[in-house]
Amino acid sequence: MLNSVVLTRRQKIPLALRASTFVLGLTVGFLVSCVVLLMSGVPLNAIFSEFVYQVFFTSLGQSQTITTATPLILVGLGAAAAMKLRFWNIGIEGQLWFGAMASTWVAINDIGPENIRLPLMMLAAVLAGAFWIAIPVFFKLKYGVNEIIMTLLMTYIAFQLVQHLLFGAWQDPSTSFPVSAHFDEAEKLARLGWGNAYTGIWIALAAGFAMWFLVDRTRFGYYSNAVGLNIVTARSTGLPVTAVIVISVLLSGGLSGLAGAVITSGAEYRLTQFLAHGFTFSGIVIAFVARFNPLGIIVAGLIIGGIYTAGETLKVFYSLSEAVVVLIEGILLLSLLISDFFKTFEVRIRNLKGN
Amino acid sequence: MSKAMELSGIDKSFNGKPALTNANLEVEWGEVHALLGENGAGKSTIMNVATGVYASDAGDVTLDGKKLKVTGPQMATELGIGMVHQHFRLVTRFTVAENVLLACKDQLGIRTTHEAAEAINAKAAEVGFPVHANAIVGDLSVAEQQRVEILKVLLLGAKIIILDEPTAVLTDQESNTVLEFVRKLAEQGNAVILITHKLREVISYSHRVTVMRGGETVLVGADAENLTAEELAAHMVGEQIMAIEPIDAEPGDVRLHIENLVVPNPIGGVGVEGVDINLRGGEILGIAGVGGNGQQQLADCLMGLADADTGKIELNGDDVTASSVRKRRSDGLRFIPADRSQSGIVPDMTVAENLAMTGVPDGQYGSLMSISRKTMRADAKQAIEDHNIMGASPNRSSRLLSGGNAQKLVLARELRDNLSVLIAHSPTRGLDVKACKTVHTSIKNAVENGAACLLISEDLEEVLSLSTRVAVMSKGIIVGELPMQENTREEVGKLMLGHA
Repeated sequence: MLNSVVLTRRQKIPLALRASTFVLGLTVGFLVSCVVLLMSGVPLNAIFSEFVYQVFFTSLGQSQTITTATPLILVGLGAAAAMKLRFWNIGIEGQLWFGAMASTWVAINDIGPENIRLPLMMLAAVLAGAFWIAIPVFFKLKYGVNEIIMTLLMTYIAFQLVQHLLFGAWQDPSTSFPVSAHFDEAEKLARLGWGNAYTGIWIALAAGFAMWFLVDRTRFGYYSNAVGLNIVTARSTGLPVTAVIVISVLLSGGLSGLAGAVITSGAEYRLTQFLAHGFTFSGIVIAFVARFNPLGIIVAGLIIGGIYTAGETLKVFYSLSEAVVVLIEGILLLSLLISDFFKTFEVRIRNLKGN
Repeated sequence: MSKAMELSGIDKSFNGKPALTNANLEVEWGEVHALLGENGAGKSTIMNVATGVYASDAGDVTLDGKKLKVTGPQMATELGIGMVHQHFRLVTRFTVAENVLLACKDQLGIRTTHEAAEAINAKAAEVGFPVHANAIVGDLSVAEQQRVEILKVLLLGAKIIILDEPTAVLTDQESNTVLEFVRKLAEQGNAVILITHKLREVISYSHRVTVMRGGETVLVGADAENLTAEELAAHMVGEQIMAIEPIDAEPGDVRLHIENLVVPNPIGGVGVEGVDINLRGGEILGIAGVGGNGQQQLADCLMGLADADTGKIELNGDDVTASSVRKRRSDGLRFIPADRSQSGIVPDMTVAENLAMTGVPDGQYGSLMSISRKTMRADAKQAIEDHNIMGASPNRSSRLLSGGNAQKLVLARELRDNLSVLIAHSPTRGLDVKACKTVHTSIKNAVENGAACLLISEDLEEVLSLSTRVAVMSKGIIVGELPMQENTREEVGKLMLGHA
């Protein structure tokens, strides 16, 4: 007797199946995460109260989740913009650093009149992020240089530059810490009056809806679909392949840079040397979980933001390490990817009768 | 003659889908028995039942008068059934002797390449064809490699030899050599089953034929001598398929003028090494030749996907050598690529989106900041109707289309509007007879309406039945050009061989 597993690609994927596999994947991911947390010494009732109740059902938790989610949504959108075109942007942090540096530069040098200072900071950040990814996309298209390596390594260059500035020219003269001077009031995004939440969330939501419009409702969106799904056909039917790739990738860098400005002007009020940490990975996870759908990215950004918020609490009260939070993020991503497999394929176990 | 193998009433289904229904086959000693049918007709399945790869759901296998159950490929080998697969199972870096040693060492009880060489030479002398035991397999021609495969099967003691499409990748002349040898094997008393979809081989080289269609054997053991190609084709597809009529059009203005075109091959090997072509409206110039002789680079360069090193391409009198794909397309150049799912359609987009692909950049489906899916769907509905694309609806994923219908989708997109020159590269590769006919008719109609067509194809049958002129491409150049005449097939074959 021989048991064999038969895989069949599903011809149609009904909405109910789509939804149920997603929910199931998320549930399994949370259950496995619970086991990890239990093993790390967090009591079961605390998991529920910290993870679910505190984060998503209390006003303070909600506001903190939204605060954390603000830059996450932006990097998620940035990751999706490039990955959709099969350009693997592993340098989101680098572009975010550049955005943070550019906004800080505008702020501490008081560039432009005060009433347009904030828009200027945002604009500078977008341009700086786009600039930092323009270099790898140029080398990729012109010489076929692998963008994964290049974007990744350029992150380190950006970080060294930040350190150079924070330990040198931009160091806050009033302290001996490696941080820049505090921003003025006109250079800060306003608080919403709800915990730490700030107007950056409107920027993130606006970016999400704008991306949705671009992808779903414009000619450019149609192009980027075709180029991402089959670049050879896109070329042979005469679509502007190179332009689509360049624009999408610059958009990816720009959004990542914008996330940097949102953090400096809305959360930190200065440039610090830790503010970009972990955003590449989170951005990719969010983009994947949402299947590159901009509106989905908003939701996924809020979920991952919640996990971070819960993680912060757990870190303080149960002395968990940062790694556990990243581990949970990874577990969720994996279980969603696995659920995707079951969505795409029908699995059956069959008895082959030997004779 | 007595029966070598008899399969009767074979049923086999996969996941509830019948692949074979009451299939019958009987092969006698000393005959070449053709097994004819289209892709998916069940030829491979019935042979897999015969060689024990699949267990049948019902039916009997009788070998040399004994009813038995073949439970696996190993047992098939022991019973003297040998299969030569379409894709050779040879290690190309090894010598012939080493390959034989690898495949037959246990059965023949040999341990060294020297012993293998002796066995090879003895067998080669016995059946009467030369094989160099010490030659590296990769250095041999495809036809010679085929011989090595056949020899391996013979060395394993096969008396019933199954050949799966042995001539699929051979030129006409090479095919003849292989098929003559196949006849000889039969004359020596073996039973040979020749799986094929080429009618010519059935008529010229087989004693009897069994035709399969949709998992059934619709013609069992008929004398091949008394059958015409038309009758065989009718059995194969279940209805009469008329041969395509010659093109009825006078050559018009020069549409495509190519001068001394040189295109490098990006992965090394043969590219285009200096090609001149003049193509007029109302003409189909067939470019015949064995694949890998620069055809892909020629097609890519004409469409604007690959840059030329030197040379000139003129479209309707304008130099388009350096023009973009988009410019060429708006000037009337269209393209049926060799690999549909790779470069013809985007399988994960809908039928409507695929049909709209060339129209979107021209603003047919909305301005820059909008996209009108409604117009797309309406246009797609029309195109699906006009071209009879089966199984398609505007919102359906193109991945779900069969090969023939995916090609109809490409045709529907490429043939519309101001078509001037059509580059058709292997337009019917992998399609069944009916779909071939549809594709050919569409191309023919377009040309009779004044378009020009460059038909690049490895399928000699296709080139000869459709073209008004035939050129042969070999090692990146056109080695000869012939008008259509009675003897073109042989002339073309000679040209293909002489420079291959």
